[in-house]
Amino acid sequence: MKKVMYLEFERCIGCRSCQAACRECGGHDAKERNYVEYIDFFESRQTFPMMCMQCKDPACAKVCPANAIQITEEGVVLSAMEEKCIGCRNCTFGCPFGIPKFDFEENKMYKCDMCYDRTKYDISPMCASVCPSDAIRFIDHDEMMELRRRRTQMNLIEGKKPSENDKWQYVPEFFGVYSD
Amino acid sequence: MTQFVVKPGVKNLQHDGEKLITTHCCYCGMQCGMHIRVNEKTGKVVGVEPRYDWPVTLGKLCPKGVTAYQTVDHPERITKPLIKKNGKFVESSWTEALDLIEKNFKELQAKHGKDALSVFGGVSMTNEKCYLVGKYARVALGTRYVDYNGRFCMSSAAGGFMKTLGIDRGSTLPWPELEHTDCFFMAGSNTAECHPTTIQWLWKARDKGAKMIVADPRETPTARIADVHLDLKAGTDSALANGLMHLIVKEGYVDEEYVNERCNNYEELKTSVEKFTPEYTSKITGVSVGKLVKAAHIFGRSPRSVVMFARGVEQQSKGVDNVCLYTSMALLRGQIGKFASGVATFTGQGNGQGGREHGQKADALPGYRKIDNPDHVNYVSGVWGIDPAEMPKAGVSAYEMFDEIQKGNIRAMHVICSNPAVSAPNNHYIWDGFKKLDFMVVSDFFLSETAEFADVVLPATTWAEDEGTTTNLEGRVIRIRKVKDPIGDSKTDWEIMKLIAERMGKGSYFNYDNVPQIFEEFRIASKGGKADYSGMTYERIENEDGLFWPCPSEDHPGTPTMFQETFGTPDGKANLAAVDWQEPNENPSDAYPHILTTGRVVFHYLSGTQTRRTDFLMEQCPEPYAEMHPHLASKYALQDGDTVFLETKRGSMSVKARITKAIREDHVFIPYHWGKELSVNKLTNPALDPTSRMPEFKVCAVKLKKA
Amino acid sequence: MKAIEKSFNSKASMNSFFVVIFLFFTMWIGTGQFTKVDWMLFGYMVASFIFFIGMTVRLTSWVMRPATHEMIKRSIQNMKAKKRQKRNVKAIIKTLIDNIILQKYIFKRGIYRGIQHWLIAWGCIGSLAITFGLTFGWMHFKLVDATTYQVVVFGVPTLKMHPDGLLAGLIFEGLNITATMLLIGVIMAIVRRIKNHDTQVTQRAEFDLVPLYILLAMTGTGLLLTVSYKLLGGWMHPQFQLLHQVTTVLFLVYFPFGKLFHLPIRPMAVAVPMNYQEEPGIDTKECVGCGELYSSDDQITDVQTILGKQMFDFKTNDGHQLSDYCPACRRKIRVMSQLNMKTPFGTSAEPVQTNNGIHIPGFGRERAETFYDAKGEK
Repeated sequence: MKKVMYLEFERCIGCRSCQAACRECGGHDAKERNYVEYIDFFESRQTFPMMCMQCKDPACAKVCPANAIQITEEGVVLSAMEEKCIGCRNCTFGCPFGIPKFDFEENKMYKCDMCYDRTKYDISPMCASVCPSDAIRFIDHDEMMELRRRRTQMNLIEGKKPSENDKWQYVPEFFGVYSD
Repeated sequence: MTQFVVKPGVKNLQHDGEKLITTHCCYCGMQCGMHIRVNEKTGKVVGVEPRYDWPVTLGKLCPKGVTAYQTVDHPERITKPLIKKNGKFVESSWTEALDLIEKNFKELQAKHGKDALSVFGGVSMTNEKCYLVGKYARVALGTRYVDYNGRFCMSSAAGGFMKTLGIDRGSTLPWPELEHTDCFFMAGSNTAECHPTTIQWLWKARDKGAKMIVADPRETPTARIADVHLDLKAGTDSALANGLMHLIVKEGYVDEEYVNERCNNYEELKTSVEKFTPEYTSKITGVSVGKLVKAAHIFGRSPRSVVMFARGVEQQSKGVDNVCLYTSMALLRGQIGKFASGVATFTGQGNGQGGREHGQKADALPGYRKIDNPDHVNYVSGVWGIDPAEMPKAGVSAYEMFDEIQKGNIRAMHVICSNPAVSAPNNHYIWDGFKKLDFMVVSDFFLSETAEFADVVLPATTWAEDEGTTTNLEGRVIRIRKVKDPIGDSKTDWEIMKLIAERMGKGSYFNYDNVPQIFEEFRIASKGGKADYSGMTYERIENEDGLFWPCPSEDHPGTPTMFQETFGTPDGKANLAAVDWQEPNENPSDAYPHILTTGRVVFHYLSGTQTRRTDFLMEQCPEPYAEMHPHLASKYALQDGDTVFLETKRGSMSVKARITKAIREDHVFIPYHWGKELSVNKLTNPALDPTSRMPEFKVCAVKLKKA
Repeated sequence: MKAIEKSFNSKASMNSFFVVIFLFFTMWIGTGQFTKVDWMLFGYMVASFIFFIGMTVRLTSWVMRPATHEMIKRSIQNMKAKKRQKRNVKAIIKTLIDNIILQKYIFKRGIYRGIQHWLIAWGCIGSLAITFGLTFGWMHFKLVDATTYQVVVFGVPTLKMHPDGLLAGLIFEGLNITATMLLIGVIMAIVRRIKNHDTQVTQRAEFDLVPLYILLAMTGTGLLLTVSYKLLGGWMHPQFQLLHQVTTVLFLVYFPFGKLFHLPIRPMAVAVPMNYQEEPGIDTKECVGCGELYSSDDQITDVQTILGKQMFDFKTNDGHQLSDYCPACRRKIRVMSQLNMKTPFGTSAEPVQTNNGIHIPGFGRERAETFYDAKGEK
């Protein structure tokens, strides 16, 4: 996989296309794995999309007592294997970003797998494909770095200078599978 | 012709045992490109695949678009003709249903004259069908009473554009050019929710530094990121436009050369905007002076700007005035007919553009011809093969048809592709009208609220079961492909019209075996009209990513940018609007102290007949709600989620309150996609625009109390 | 113990050694000091030993994972705690019946899948039990008199029965019954995997498919054996027997490494009602951010211990761990920090202002305000 997922929360218009599209993806069993939420509907209509960062060293897999969360060779963190998952929900508490979902009925965890059946052929995941506002994008690693640089410059213009320790807070989200 | 159209180098996921068929979404005017996934063995529609290479939308879809395919093989589809017997629908055969229609239609016409019948059309269907609706009413039924739901949707834009520019094409520029604009002025358009796939172009322009000015009583997701959000009172658009033009004139932002060369009425306009000082405008609209000034400077200084508007501006008793004034703003800046600038309305319905051009309107004939023009009547009569004397006279607009029902002039109605029981204003009056009819036929693929009033319901097909063309909001004519065969006994709308025409003894005028034959006839019918499709063929539309009308000959490239040299008026000059401000038809009073405005949510489409049957969309938005500011809510001690009772002079309803600061303090907003008890159109005001005959959905006075 | 472990170089090999010793011991008892070993089954016996060694190695390394270790540690603690006995017993019985015997949760994923899984699961467990029972000589049949058989378990004579009776029939045909269950279940599973695109997205041949095909081969040849001597008068019987032996050996050796390995893990599901969530869907711990109930104290403690052991540092500025917040709050924390805003849970009483002027408006390049300034040059 040569491309990464890239999120810009402010662009989100709250249409939830990504969630509808997530249900369409192969292996998703008509359940969406991503989130679109209001920051505070009382104050503003700002929403944000949220999905899995596909961590290199995923906390969810590390807290799973059944060793059910596997990582593909491309680096995609998959949903818990249905046969192994014992339904303890440790992953939902371990994940620092609150991503894995749990189905009490079927007693299993499910999560974003970056539409593995598409991205393994370098085809954009459903959520990024349909996102009408480009809040979710599936782009080249270089393009992502370029976008991040631009955003960092903007923050500098506004008088807030990121330091070495917190600069990740100043640039938009990017995640996904890429080689350094 | 190929079914799956894809450009080289574009990758799509194709599963084994499935084929992809390229088409467009069935919902709004964006007509987003998509591929439908069909199981090769069962022939069922199983999903959707983005069409990354469709130049207008680049594969983007809104949640309605993603789930659109789910209505095709939906379990609630009507698959057999239904006849109402003792108040209940009974499945029957086509012969039985057609016998009944023939008998009633003929009896009523014999008793009450030809005009006892009426046709109520819609524009969520292909050009071919829309064209045929007009012909069906006038030739097969021989009635003057034909009109369509576009009266609730875009006829004000049409009227306004006709007045100022001489030709009504939704957008004077192609959508992908929006990326290069410097300034968007958007009025009364909740683009992010109603035309979500447009947002990518706005956001791209923003990335390049474009500014946005949004006029809306609510801080919509579009208004949220505007540089200036003009939070005007609903129904004060003409004052706002006059106020801005006042500043544009005063600050010297007028493109004098352009205006002198290409526009009439400049002096009149100057006089009429004279009194709209920022202070005066601010008093009427409720927008602060600072915002008005800032907006005028941004708009005035931007080298390229686009003025865009939608239903918020048009669904008013002075919708045409609003459109004329906003269009004049663009004209003053000399923007129309140039690259990445111009004026555009967001067409609401799928084929709202194409559907209004080809004679479904009470006073119109194909190609924007007029029924009161003898030359036009002669030409169309020639194409249809009828005697010009037989051509019925102009009828009345959609809402006024219900007045005719009440008067007893219209005795029967055939509703095609529409659901006025939800979408027309003042619902109680509409429902009462349906009950008064002697005989009512509805063609639909779901049992809509309107269909429930019918005596006969004919099972129509969905968009995926028939082919044809539609015209999107840009004026680009595109191809809709047939994805699968109709389910059950359902038939396409053109087959239904043909069958009834045969029963009425006019079969020879409807001698079609397939859609391309209708298209060929329709090309000729539109030839020489303002909306000229005669140079288009299915092959060209496919090869050239759609074709913009006018396209008068097969070697004509189509017209992506309108009015580059001249306008469509007789003298070729645009008419600037010199129109004073008028109050809305209904204003807040002591008895009804607040303003009610209606609109859409992103999850539903029009009357909701389709989207309310789609699981995902219903999970996201199952019922209407009343959105209001906490300031207003606290007056009535309302908490978020409390039930609130709303009442206007015409009706009342109870809904849950949703409280947010992203709306004006004196406004209540309710989405209109639900029927019966949940229909907000029981409350809305049917005051009509004098020119476009469009009702004032967007403003009425309301009172509330905690339920 | 540590010293012994050291001399074995690894826990896994030590455990394997003890398991093998134990198996030999049971065999010694069952076969009357190796007098009644059925040498026809020698191949199966070797494979069974390999099976047990493989299982031991896999289970040992599994238990050593911090996550598993914590969960088992807490389970043992709770088992010992007197106060919790009632809850423990309830948890065990409920898990045993719902999860293991009836496998209700799989039926909820679909009736087809439920039937398929139940057949394979119980076919597999039954077949394994009978196979091990016979190969290790844990049990055999003794002819008491002309009309009576007796089952001898570990050298202890137990049940007596008539050879034509129903019970005897069930026991003698045991392998045929379990094999038939397996055959139906495996075919259902393979059909599903061919027909359903969704299953193909993440499945891996060596992990998901090979075990199924081996299982199919094993049950197929096993049933052929029965067909051969019952219907075909022993036609090709030796060849089928060899085939069956080969496939069974393959199956047993592969078992601990393919997807079927989830069988010994499943009983750990009892830890969920026993340690964490007594009633399904009912939480007891409040989120630090929004106050919603989202978990139980014990579970969060365990998760934090596991994370700590593996050097994950998820401490927030206010001294909490991220896992003290519910998932929705964690998502919000992430967004707020990305949008350059304070977390929504600080002491600040300011409203959430998303138009913060830093990222919005203008996602990209800005045009100088002066460009639009009233006094600026046009």
